[in-house]
Amino acid sequence: MKYKWILFVLLLLPIWVFGQQSISSDTVYISIEIKGMACPYCAYGMERELKGLTGVDDVDILLVEGRAYIQTLEVNKPTEASLAEIIKNGGFTVGEIVFSNKPLLTREKMEE
Amino acid sequence: MKLSLYTILFVCSVLSLKGQGPPITVETPVMLGLEGSGVRTFGRFIAREKSSSYAHIFAVPYNFTPTLQLAGIVPFKIIRPKNGDQVSGLSDLSLSLKYQLYKKDATAQTFRILARIVQSFPTSASSEAIKLGAGVYQTSVGLIFGKLNTSIGIYGDISYILTGDSARDRVKYNLSIGVPLLPQQYPAHQMNVYLELNGSYLLERSAQEFFVSPGLQFILGRRVLLETSLQLPLILPNHALDKTKIGFLLGGRFLIT
Repeated sequence: MKYKWILFVLLLLPIWVFGQQSISSDTVYISIEIKGMACPYCAYGMERELKGLTGVDDVDILLVEGRAYIQTLEVNKPTEASLAEIIKNGGFTVGEIVFSNKPLLTREKMEE
Repeated sequence: MKLSLYTILFVCSVLSLKGQGPPITVETPVMLGLEGSGVRTFGRFIAREKSSSYAHIFAVPYNFTPTLQLAGIVPFKIIRPKNGDQVSGLSDLSLSLKYQLYKKDATAQTFRILARIVQSFPTSASSEAIKLGAGVYQTSVGLIFGKLNTSIGIYGDISYILTGDSARDRVKYNLSIGVPLLPQQYPAHQMNVYLELNGSYLLERSAQEFFVSPGLQFILGRRVLLETSLQLPLILPNHALDKTKIGFLLGGRFLIT
């Protein structure tokens, strides 16, 4: 009986691992350089506008880097032009925008 | 002499730190995309030789475009003479229009120059003896500039105030240096320290007023900012009938949505 349970778990494990990978590859990670954003009070407007994008729940802002980091599902991926418009309307200048299927904001970077 | 020494020490201590946020008694050149969701309010107490006054101001900015901002400014005022009855009520309402003339943004830093026009209206409730406002239409035309990065903010503004009576026309100028005391993070509590200079020059009388205003600002998370500042007179005009002894400002800025 005990061995049946272990076998059952071993059979389920690959399904769970592959499932996780498929969810991860459906997510797009975006880094946006917001030139001119130099104070915490200035960053709030940007956070609010970027949170308005479909599927974006969290916005991480690194002031010293002048960058915002967001993630959303691939199906909701915003265009570079739409992101640039948001930054421009907030009164800032858009810099480099990077799209990736791997997280761009690491814990080490945040701690820096 | 003692005051000058303290001022120099304060400047030195400020410059040795890292720094900023929006200046306290100087106009800010950064127009956030607020669309009417930001409110600034502050109270200013001024002790003079023969009276004291308290003014409470509400200002709501609205951005039409990223480079054009209109703000409505509503002031309430209380004046209490040492010998006489207190007068209180609405002071002169004004509208402020800011237009961004120049912007140079780089990573975590910016330099901006704005033009600003302020039109104030004689809406103040006044008694015969005491006026809560200027009592005339006033137009102010000027420039605002600022250079800031995550370590320091330097701001300034200069304006010419037309009153319709050339004897009262004047030039106003303000300068501010601000630095943050805590590491720059978002969102985070932040404390900024400021040294600000406020002056005005009455053209026809060649009379000058000059104040030094050290201040502190607390950013509480994302949407609330509290600030306080002292106005200490360094130069006062000889002809002033009721000279300023000290001023104190306490206020806040709130992002509503």
